[in-house]
Amino acid sequence: MRYNDKGQELMRRRNFFKTLAGSGLLLSAGAGSPFRRLLARQTNAQLSKVEAWYYKKHPDREIECYLCPRACKLGDKERGYCGVRENIGGTYYTLVYGKACTMNVDPIEKKPFFHFLPRTNALSIATAGCNVNCKFCQNWQISQVRAEQVQHFDFPPQDVVESALKYDCPSIAYTYTEPVVFYEYMYDTSVEARKRGVKNCVVTGGHISQEPLLELTKVVEAIKIDLKAFSEDFYKNYVRGELQPVLDAIKAVHKSKVWLELVYLVIPSLNDSPQEIRAMCQWIGSEIGQEIPLHFSRFYPMYLIKNLPPTPVSTLEKAHTIAREEGLKYVYIGNVPGHKAESTYCPRCQSLIIQRTGFEIKKIELKNGKCKFCQNPIPGIWA
Amino acid sequence: MSSAKVVVVRSKVALSLTKELDKARLVLMIERGLNLLAGTQEIKEAVSQIFSPPDRVGIKINTIGGRNISSRPELSFGLANLLVQGGLQEKNIIIWDRTNRELREAGYRLTIDKAQLKVFGTDTEGVGYDTDLVSHLNIGSLFSTILNNFITASISLAILKDHGLAGVTASMKNYFGSIHNPNKYHDAHCNPFIAELFDTRPIKSKHKLSILDGLRIQYHRGPSFHPQWAENGGLLVFSRDAVAADSVGWLIIEKLRAQKGLPTLEEEKRKPLYLFTAEKMGLGIAHFDKIQILEDEV
Repeated sequence: MRYNDKGQELMRRRNFFKTLAGSGLLLSAGAGSPFRRLLARQTNAQLSKVEAWYYKKHPDREIECYLCPRACKLGDKERGYCGVRENIGGTYYTLVYGKACTMNVDPIEKKPFFHFLPRTNALSIATAGCNVNCKFCQNWQISQVRAEQVQHFDFPPQDVVESALKYDCPSIAYTYTEPVVFYEYMYDTSVEARKRGVKNCVVTGGHISQEPLLELTKVVEAIKIDLKAFSEDFYKNYVRGELQPVLDAIKAVHKSKVWLELVYLVIPSLNDSPQEIRAMCQWIGSEIGQEIPLHFSRFYPMYLIKNLPPTPVSTLEKAHTIAREEGLKYVYIGNVPGHKAESTYCPRCQSLIIQRTGFEIKKIELKNGKCKFCQNPIPGIWA
Repeated sequence: MSSAKVVVVRSKVALSLTKELDKARLVLMIERGLNLLAGTQEIKEAVSQIFSPPDRVGIKINTIGGRNISSRPELSFGLANLLVQGGLQEKNIIIWDRTNRELREAGYRLTIDKAQLKVFGTDTEGVGYDTDLVSHLNIGSLFSTILNNFITASISLAILKDHGLAGVTASMKNYFGSIHNPNKYHDAHCNPFIAELFDTRPIKSKHKLSILDGLRIQYHRGPSFHPQWAENGGLLVFSRDAVAADSVGWLIIEKLRAQKGLPTLEEEKRKPLYLFTAEKMGLGIAHFDKIQILEDEV
């Protein structure tokens, strides 16, 4: 049994689902056979028709979206690359405002955020859709589909915040798919959450234009960006996106003072060369600083890349070594439960200050954001 | 593949943008087209050259444009009736597209009677997309179970249109309506995606016939309907080679654009390069000098 710091029992996932079902909130999509059936029959549930932000109207009912660098130009009745925004008669609409396709209470470490409210849960939500198409996507069943192809449920911003409070989640995570594509929903929920003392964290690929990103940084507390490689070729061939806008997003978030963590999914033979990893670490060190947490995450065969094995742990350890050689202070290895590099060590006295196993925190040796042993400040949002 | 045959059948009097179609003349156009394509005199011979009697034939239409610029019911049903006359069983013919809403908006009445010709969309309850992801080159998609399971032979009955990204949309791109994620394949002028999608097993193994509906042609600013750039083309294009059919469709659009004083698609930097990609992949013929075009008028 797990308890929060007030001694209240944290709701177990199964009970949470039961509660949702009882309250009329139907939780649906996710991997596995039930979802596969859903895809096969689809749903006729009403999609939203809320005017989108960040687009321009052009003559002859055409529009141009500038929410993300893809800048879709669409005629009447056409859908954006994300699959969840549609030009209807010359007005661009988001079809997923308040239409969550999944919701869970997750440990914040699962996102992963390691320097943001450790040992807490985040009410985690997503809608369908994504503005890139990673060949290694872990959630393609909900990200690489159109809005109507997954079952969804009404979950307006106020209800999201109420649920976070009800289930003792100090933060709401916009995650699983790509929250940029449900920007308006995320933004409004974040505003509502802040009013109620709930924090917001965003798990994104960072493929977003600067203007909406800067606005978003005004209403959220933490952003985790997946830096999927450090080459434009990889982004072109395996992500269907561009690297430079992601680097620009990383710099902008860092400058905004919103808490930032980076994840790099290491895929054998595709983005695991020591040269590429060193170049990335050097860029991070010089452009962002050495105190940004960097997570090297283990790849498992998924979606369109099934012909590669899981990343050898030795490869992840090599990447970890390179990052440390380049001076990065908080470097982690993810998706390898029990690995010592899941834990946080004080860069000054080398003491173990947050011990993790998987998503579980074994101990925290921090006091007021400082190492309990040498009083070295550890960057993060700790409470 | 050394050459391809494409048939263009025109009618000046059958078709009007504002009036009812002359259904009888429309059927004559289809019949003439199929016979010219097959080199036959009788529809039964033509149909038997393309299909086998037990075939379950799917007519994949395009209804995204609503009433203004979708596959006309008169054309789809006219074709279906000819297939029945040609020896196929009515109950084994399905007119389909991705959604029932779009089918209805284009003027179709949905039917799923087991003994009759059927009309329904992939989003019909119990239909949907197959659960096995098809991964091929740059394509990763779920296919409509109509294409994957219900039918054994496919006709792409496409609307011929200018396309802001692809250059031209015709019978190959029409299959974007058979997968769950067409929005993912519009990058780089849809090249190589249109060709690679056509090269997937579910499509390549079943595609038997391309028919381009040029009754009304959106020759500029497509694929959305803009009446100021739509022309009463009064023609249908037939080929068993989808690449060749679509290349001829491109030629027709270029001629219309030239007549109207518009720049070529190449000048607008949206030449349909996917056609040449398709040719390189061995899917058909894109070069006009290797396409035999037969033209007729009814």
